[in-house]
This record gives sequence, C-alpha cells and structure tokens, in this order.
Amino acid sequence: MQTLPMALPFVVLVVATLVAMLGFRWTAIWVSLVAAVVMVAVFVTHLTTPLQIAL
Amino acid sequence: MAAVARTLNAVALLAICVVLLVVFYWQLARGELPCPLCLLQRAALIGAGLGLMLNVRFGASESHYGIAILSALAGAAFAARQILLHIVPGTGGYGAVLYGYHFYTWALVIFFLIALFAGAMLFIEAQFMEGVRDWRPTAAAQILGWLFVALALANAVSTLLLCGFGPCPENPTGYELLQR
Repeated sequence: MQTLPMALPFVVLVVATLVAMLGFRWTAIWVSLVAAVVMVAVFVTHLTTPLQIAL
Repeated sequence: MAAVARTLNAVALLAICVVLLVVFYWQLARGELPCPLCLLQRAALIGAGLGLMLNVRFGASESHYGIAILSALAGAAFAARQILLHIVPGTGGYGAVLYGYHFYTWALVIFFLIALFAGAMLFIEAQFMEGVRDWRPTAAAQILGWLFVALALANAVSTLLLCGFGPCPENPTGYELLQR
C-alpha cells in the first residue's frame, strides 16, 4: 500500500484552524472531518508488520 | 451556565496549547525527535483542540464537541497502538520519560480526559441556547485561537522538515529536509 506523507494531516489541520479563525465555521467543520479521515489513512498506511500479522 | 461552559472550553484549549508547547520544548531543546506514531498523536491533539477552538471562537455547538471526541478517539487508538508495541517486557520504550511514564502513555491519558470532558460538557444544555450566530468572541478568545493556529502551523512545518514529503522513518535521527 502507498504510504501517505506524514505532513498531510497537519497541512489539512492548519487549513481547518485558519478558516475557523477567519470565520468560516462550516468549512472548518468539514475540513476537520477530512483531517480526521486523513489521520486514520496515514495511520493505516504506516502500520508496521507485527500489527498487520496480528490482524 | 453558558459562560461557565465557554470558560471551561477556553481553559481546556489552553491546556492543549501547553501540552503542544511542552512536546515542542522536548523536541527542540532536548533533541527528542518524534516517531511517526508520536506525530499522529500530535495531529489528533490538534484535531481535538480544533473542536474546542470552534467552541471558543463561535460559541458552543454539539458538532464542535463531536470533532473533539472523534479526534480524541483517533488519538487514543494511536497512543494505545504505541503502548502495545512496547508492552512486552524487554522491548523497551520510545523516547524520554516524564513523571514515570512515556509520552505516548500520557497521550492516552490526555485523550481519555478530552473525550470525558467533551462528553460531560454535552450535558450543559444552556450553552447551546445562545446559538453560534449570536456569539462574538472576546479579545482573549481571539488571542487563544491565534496561538492555537500558530502551534498547528509550527507542527506542520516541523513535520515537513522532519519527514519531507514522504513517510517518516521509524526512529528519526535528523530533519530530512535539512539534510538534503
């Protein structure tokens, strides 16, 4: 599986915090949900062998 | 009650900022470079803080608490994964120890507390009566919000320097982008 860049969730989170402070509430909410999905995706693609074997 | 809820959210957000500053201190001053799972826990902490920041910036909403709870659950899963990696006796731990526990153990405790806090706060229904449209953030709330944005940005820059545009090494020894 292609390993996703570790910086990706941080970049999405920075966008979410910025749009929140600029007053775009719903955009921030949706972007934060995207960030959560990206975080989990990065976690899954970074799984190392022991857990993959265990699963 | 709504004012109490706002204050509690601001205090919790400030606590998250302090945690982010402490791990930054350990990284920059003590040379403790974060592993991939450590970075994911930081990201989840920022995600949880974002939910609280939305409460401070726009007023309380159930969806804001939802973001905090979902991020805390993700962060707890990352921290639990790291604890399980080192749970077998003799396998050692990763990184420094603070007050007897590794940072990832503290992270699990913190994520549990965040989820507990957000869940408990949902019981204060008076805070939702004001509505998010009428809410005007105070100057202190704005400052706290921008401090949080700065910390999120600093973490993004740090992760980019550490890992570059790809995956992070299991045990990082230096900043990938600076070594090129």
